[in-house]
Amino acid sequence: MPKITIDDKEISVEGGTNIIAAAQRLGIEVPHYCYHPGLSVAGACRMCLVEIEKMPKLQTGCSTLATEGMVIKTIAHSAKAKAAVQGVLELTLINHPLDCPVCDQAGECGLQDYYMKYGLYNSRMRDAKVKKEKKASALGPHVMLDQERCILCSRCVRFTHEITKTNEIGIFNRGDHSYIDVVNGRSLENNYSGNVVDICPVGALTDRDFRFQCRVWYLQESDSICPGCSTGCNIKIHFNVRRRHIAGGRRVQRLKPRFNEAVNQWWMCDEGRYAYPSIDENRITTPSARLAAAHQRMDWRDAIDQMALALREALAAYGPESVGVIASPQLTNEDLYLIKKLFVDVLGIAAVDYRMPPNRSAKNDDFLLRADRNPNTLGAHLIGLSPFGKEISTPRILEAAAGGRLQVLYVFSTDLVAVYGEAPIANMAAHVPLMIYQGTNHNRTSTLAHLVLPAAIYAEKNGTFTNYAGRVQHLKPAFAPLAEAMPDWKILCKLAQALGHDFRYADEEAIFEELANSQPAFAGITYAGIGSHGWPIEKERVLSFVTA
Amino acid sequence: MRRNHQIPLGAIVKGLALTAGHFFRNMRIHVAHLFGRRLQEKGMVTFQYPEERRPFSPRLRTRHRLTMRADGSPRCVACMMCETICPANCIYITAGEHPDPHIEKQPLKFDIDLGVCVFCGFCVEVCPEDAIRMDTGILEFAAYSRQEMILTMDKLLMKEGAQEPDRALMKENA
Amino acid sequence: MTEIVITMGKIAFVLFCVFNLLYVLLWLERKQSAVMQDRIGANRADIFGLRAWGLFHPIADAIKMICKEDFMPAAADKFVYTAAPFLAVFFSLVGFAVIPFGDTLTLGGHTIHLQIADLNVGLLYVFAMLSLGVYGFILAGWASNNNFAFLGGMRAGSQMISYEITMGATVMGLVILFQTLSLNQMVQAQGEYFFGFIPKWGVLLQPLGFLLFLIAGIAETKRIPFDLPEGESEIIGYFVEYSGMKFGMFMMTDFIETILLSAMLTTLFFGGWQIPYLHADGFHLGGLRLAINPVLVSFLQVAAFGLKVFCFCWLLLLIRWTLPRFRYDQLMALGWKFMLPLSLLNLAITGLVVLL
Ligand code: SF4
Ligand code: SF4
Ligand code: SF4
Ligand code: SF4
Repeated sequence: MPKITIDDKEISVEGGTNIIAAAQRLGIEVPHYCYHPGLSVAGACRMCLVEIEKMPKLQTGCSTLATEGMVIKTIAHSAKAKAAVQGVLELTLINHPLDCPVCDQAGECGLQDYYMKYGLYNSRMRDAKVKKEKKASALGPHVMLDQERCILCSRCVRFTHEITKTNEIGIFNRGDHSYIDVVNGRSLENNYSGNVVDICPVGALTDRDFRFQCRVWYLQESDSICPGCSTGCNIKIHFNVRRRHIAGGRRVQRLKPRFNEAVNQWWMCDEGRYAYPSIDENRITTPSARLAAAHQRMDWRDAIDQMALALREALAAYGPESVGVIASPQLTNEDLYLIKKLFVDVLGIAAVDYRMPPNRSAKNDDFLLRADRNPNTLGAHLIGLSPFGKEISTPRILEAAAGGRLQVLYVFSTDLVAVYGEAPIANMAAHVPLMIYQGTNHNRTSTLAHLVLPAAIYAEKNGTFTNYAGRVQHLKPAFAPLAEAMPDWKILCKLAQALGHDFRYADEEAIFEELANSQPAFAGITYAGIGSHGWPIEKERVLSFVTA
Repeated sequence: MRRNHQIPLGAIVKGLALTAGHFFRNMRIHVAHLFGRRLQEKGMVTFQYPEERRPFSPRLRTRHRLTMRADGSPRCVACMMCETICPANCIYITAGEHPDPHIEKQPLKFDIDLGVCVFCGFCVEVCPEDAIRMDTGILEFAAYSRQEMILTMDKLLMKEGAQEPDRALMKENA
Repeated sequence: MTEIVITMGKIAFVLFCVFNLLYVLLWLERKQSAVMQDRIGANRADIFGLRAWGLFHPIADAIKMICKEDFMPAAADKFVYTAAPFLAVFFSLVGFAVIPFGDTLTLGGHTIHLQIADLNVGLLYVFAMLSLGVYGFILAGWASNNNFAFLGGMRAGSQMISYEITMGATVMGLVILFQTLSLNQMVQAQGEYFFGFIPKWGVLLQPLGFLLFLIAGIAETKRIPFDLPEGESEIIGYFVEYSGMKFGMFMMTDFIETILLSAMLTTLFFGGWQIPYLHADGFHLGGLRLAINPVLVSFLQVAAFGLKVFCFCWLLLLIRWTLPRFRYDQLMALGWKFMLPLSLLNLAITGLVVLL
């Protein structure tokens, strides 16, 4: 553990730590463009120059490793380093276009930030700027390139070499003729291409999807978990609810990965990144009942009463076998726990499952994306919603429904039609007196349901997911549920109350507390303990439950 | 008799003399005007708005306009600086791709809600493209509904049919 | 028969003049105040683009008032509420019956007295009518069934009664001097001269009386500076519940009273229709003589009367647009503690002088 001094502060760091990272731990900023903790060191931008005692020349903070007794002065304390960095910045800006007004990066741009801090402000340039070949052009389905804005830090090149190993991007030519482009006319097309936008320190690589949609300073952000697969990448939801004319009133403008060493590091996949439109589009906004072909909107109170009445009558006349529940691994642990508590424990219904036959086309890639496209499959299992062990009972429940043996079928956020096809589900819906669909978005299953209830989507929810590795992660609500939508747990509480059971919880945390106390797999976990980086349930514990 | 019950007769007569004086002086001028005389004098301080207007200061902030490029398209690049700075939050811009890749961005919609605008001029001050100005000299934009108070891009560009800025009204400040 | 026709003709003529003058006053109210205040005044109403210096504004006013909702408070006394403005207008108009607006006119063998009715108690008659006019205001306030209107009516009543006393006491001086209550005879008497050449007008005989009468008269018209019963924008008064033409009638009353006051001032203090040195057969001054057609003389006299009335109207407007309003206690103090003693003093001195 070498002990070093940076700007008169001492710190011991592990061997192999570079100066930028060490300074960061002390809260000291060493400006840099090309260095990225997730990528190899390039030493290309020369912005991270620091003065080190007994070294005659300034050294780059990215490539210089901490060694015992090093005394370092960053630009905050070293005039020499500062002058050098200012010079580097001036050089970088020589050919940089005055694009900020039209540049999507403006507001979160490394050049702007450092210029405000270390810029010389008065240009000494008399020569015309070198104009690059291309103005904005698409590199691939998700990424836009503007060569003029590129500062040639090579982060994007290293990303495609080292992380995706797809090698689409390269630097061509030399000197001030250098430019970034795709290799051999290829296209930047891989499931992680969106990440180059995040790591590009300037507006050279921008998001095609986000292009001109919203200025970044309009955005608010909120921590969440991507619901796209069982990895549960940590994300930030960037949303705008104040200026409703922006992007047609859409609330979520983009998703960004949130650093979590144990889950997704700095990255996320494109499939998850660009799935956000479902948060605002095609949402179920009010409870409705199907009358003949059309759905008629109704009051929450009436909807709950109707459900309670149907459930009560079914249970009284035909017993618990006449009710089927299809839960969903898209729901949070809290929601699932209440489903189990209400339907299994209180009402004694056995036909409760959340599993669908596996989708054969979905595969694990060898990085983040997993074949199981649900964020909380393990959670549902650990809560105990797999009553028949390994056997998936969903088909049996649907069979019972189609055979007229069910009075009520309650479907949570699962598009049955997508799995089983239109005809069987329509046939089944015709044979169940009451089919309830409680979900976030309209789909063909909701169209067939007799009663449709609007549920809050993940961005509107407080709760936890358990990822495939047994890490319980916390998602926070970015904004209130759309229109009349309600979090699933609230709907369940209302239903339970209408059935005469006293389900009362102050909030999601209260439900989780009860869950942690009653389900051994979650024993000892609290929201505070989960924090922003999650709580890993030990592997042995997970395995013991999975095999049990 | 308490003091405040006294009638200030002297002051009353003085006041009557003053107003009568004004009456006769002004009447003389009005009558002279009828015969085309003493036209440089004015019998009143009022301006016969709207036929007759006070000269504006050239710095007066009046209704906004968007300046145009040579081809008549807006200079605005939809950077949203004005929308951001606007303390009344009354500028609503929707940005889109410009066909010319060297311009890149342009406003698809640019609305200003004059019913909310406080005429601070920040939008003009902040614009990096000199794309928005408040120099039209148009002060009359009262409307019968809130909707009509919203200026759309066409009106802001003052294309044909729209009122041109009346520069003649803007007397140079001495 | 011809008598009746002639009388009707005279009534028509007087009403015609009064209403026209009323119209002019409505216009003048705006324009004169504007000119006094360096403004232009209302000038927008036009007929086919013709603006005529705003002369059409009173027409616009009338159209507006006639078209407005004729509001009636739910709890009002319907009959009295409706009758009040008519009473007010009526009593202000009938005063003109005894005002002589000329001497005599001989036309086709008929000698016509240019006065509707030469009552020998003309002066008393005018005062009687003015006093009755108060009912219009008090009843308006009372019938509206509105506390504020009622108080306004009461203020109007007390104000008018207070100042009528001064008025009465003031003109007594003239009655003593002229030894008559007939207005016509008073005007005739003012056709004489001091030292053969200074007209013996009331204002010279009773300068103090004139001032007191002027002030009391303004108070009677209830206009600024005595607009305490109802002060346009600030003081809620007796016609607060009135709208449309009923309100218009109260407004008219104010102006008719202004004209009546001017006519009284002219008749009592400024020689009525008299033009100095102009007599029935022509112009006399010392040895100078100029024969003029008697019909023309009559015409000149009527015109002189009209001009004098108009000048007083102008003066009253000038006062109305110059002075600020009195406070109510000041109003009462002025009436009772200042004007009444002065008018009594005036009366006493006049009596003394006549006796000696
Ligand atoms: S990359 Fe940064 S400095 Fe360059 S135009 Fe964009 S915002 Fe401005
Ligand atoms: S495009 Fe961005 S990330 Fe790539 S080299 Fe240029 S500045 Fe760096
Ligand atoms: S003048 Fe001020 S309030 Fe009006 S649009 Fe411009 S910035 Fe907004
Ligand atoms: S500041 Fe100027 S260029 Fe930017 S959006 Fe407003 S008008 Fe357009």
